[in-house]
Amino acid sequence: MLKYYFFLGLRSLRRNPALTALMVLTLAVGVAASVATMTILHAMSGNPIPHKSDRLLSVVLDAGPLEGYKPGDKPNDSQSTYRDAMNLVASGQGQRRTALYGMSVTVEPERKDLGVFGAQGIVATKDFFPMFEVPFMAGQGWSAKEDADGADVVVLGRDFSEKLFGTTQSVGQRVILSGHPFQVIGVLDRWRPLPRYYLIIGYGAFTDDNEDYVFPIATAVRHKLPHAGGASCSQHFEPGFQGRLDSECTWVQTWFELSSASERPALQSYLDNYAADQVRQGRLLRKAKNHLYNVMEWLEHLKVVEKDNRLAAWLSFGFLALCLVNTVGLLLAKFSSRASEVGVRRALGASRAQVFQQFLMEAVVVGLAGGMLGLLLAWGALQLIALQSRELALLAHMDWTMLALTFALSVLASVLAGLLPTWRACNVTPAIQLKSQ
Amino acid sequence: MLRMSHLSKVYRTHLIETHALRDFHIEVKHGEFVTVTGPSGSGKTSFLNVAGLLEDFTDGEYLLDGASVKGLDDNQRSRLRNEKLGFIFQGFNLIPDLNLFDNVDVPLRYRGYNRAERKERIEDALAQVGLASRQKHYPAELSGGQQQRVAIARALAGSPKLLLADEPTGNLDTQMARGVMELLEAINVKGTTILMVTHDPELAVRAQRNVHIIDGQVSDLVRRTPSLLNPDAAPHDVAHAT
Repeated sequence: MLKYYFFLGLRSLRRNPALTALMVLTLAVGVAASVATMTILHAMSGNPIPHKSDRLLSVVLDAGPLEGYKPGDKPNDSQSTYRDAMNLVASGQGQRRTALYGMSVTVEPERKDLGVFGAQGIVATKDFFPMFEVPFMAGQGWSAKEDADGADVVVLGRDFSEKLFGTTQSVGQRVILSGHPFQVIGVLDRWRPLPRYYLIIGYGAFTDDNEDYVFPIATAVRHKLPHAGGASCSQHFEPGFQGRLDSECTWVQTWFELSSASERPALQSYLDNYAADQVRQGRLLRKAKNHLYNVMEWLEHLKVVEKDNRLAAWLSFGFLALCLVNTVGLLLAKFSSRASEVGVRRALGASRAQVFQQFLMEAVVVGLAGGMLGLLLAWGALQLIALQSRELALLAHMDWTMLALTFALSVLASVLAGLLPTWRACNVTPAIQLKSQ
Repeated sequence: MLRMSHLSKVYRTHLIETHALRDFHIEVKHGEFVTVTGPSGSGKTSFLNVAGLLEDFTDGEYLLDGASVKGLDDNQRSRLRNEKLGFIFQGFNLIPDLNLFDNVDVPLRYRGYNRAERKERIEDALAQVGLASRQKHYPAELSGGQQQRVAIARALAGSPKLLLADEPTGNLDTQMARGVMELLEAINVKGTTILMVTHDPELAVRAQRNVHIIDGQVSDLVRRTPSLLNPDAAPHDVAHAT
């Protein structure tokens, strides 16, 4: 019977083409607006590493100055000092741990046609790769010994390797970064977690740039290479590279990986003990609360999804509701002109429930048509949004979830819009309608 | 086939009560062709609606094909309509966006026949009314007389026991009306009981029996010889017809 109702629904689309077109368009516009904003919001608030996001924890210790501080104030910065980061990485807590920060170097390629150029990357400790599940095309990361020694080893990004050597198979090659020769030990595949959660501060969560390279922090320190990206320095420190390392300036991201989320309280208490110890040594003057954030909490903490985005989504749903009300009106008009058909069908043996199913299916057919048009409109809208900026272009992609959402939303909207008109239709008194034609 | 006794039908609004049918008695036997006449507002259509299970009645007894229909719910009444009754209306009431085949298909869908059986029945019914070659046409492409033939085919397709016709020739010119009437008579001869409301005295007297309704009651029942044998009926039989 459903097939029959579907066939009737298709038929009746043709009955009043203007009215039908108006309904389909109204639904499509409403659905497209919602889906376009939802797509952006979905990409922004997506979980970049769902299977372990609750086991990856970012650390915030407040190393800010006492001046102007009231207990309960927000931390001075959400990055760590070099000293805390190194202490925590050395702590052996959790399953894995790493510290990382941005780096900017000059590259002297062997290919003379390229000339000297700048390259952006990060420095980290060895667990960076397994913790964030960075995919390798060739080779691998470095060892604990190379971390300790500050070995001149580097892992290149895929595009960077191709640029330098014309191939992704560059393991074993030599590359000169900021005047120091490095040995290539691995090449990464392209990877682009959205949001780019592991290093947001100073870079943003939505960036299209893959790291050109990753090498050990200790190597950067040994060569006295300054960090790139955001830093916060609000207390006096000794001049020179070592002075900066010993300072209360914050520029390092510190992450722990736990083997189970249930170990979080243990890590928290370790952190509290560590902080208390530092306080005794005359550091961490604020004696503030120490924070751990898992990936999703971290995105929330850094306000990756701005209020404006949520507001836009709500507004677009309001717009959809408006379109829905319009569709209710149009369906009422369409169905009430069919009262005599309801009368005939009832007389010929359709029960009220069967009429209800038939007309609701008709609304669903309108919804499906609206969904198809809505999909086109949403795609068009996303293309337009993508033209606004590179950051938006990265987010404005329709995926299967959104595709399904478009149809689900459209059909749901049409069913909602169809309930009242359908209810009215199936309660037509057949006797009256048959006589009045 | 159909028997009503002490039946009443009252329409109530919060201000007034209208007695459309009161203490109504009628019996129609299998295979009869009965016409129903009466002035406007006399209750003819109410009678047909109650008989067709399109409206409930207020009080009394109604047996359709030997079974009481009192207290049946919407589903049961719908199934009875579908299985035992056929309807023909003054305004044809074809569904404009379905072709003839799909129009005749409507009652068969609700009956739940499979595709092959539906096809056979539709083709049979359309052949009976002489429109077999126009299955794919739409109602708007047909004359009034042809549309009414389709409606008759639709009513016949489910092999109903009782055909209810509400002024089936009211919207047709004399010639077309005669054609439709002849078709109904042919159907009746094959054994289908027909109950037809009409304003047309000429048609009324062609049936085997004419029932006259005034003020919601049957005023007289005149048994007649089969109409085909005696087309020029005595005038007193239809004296009250309007």
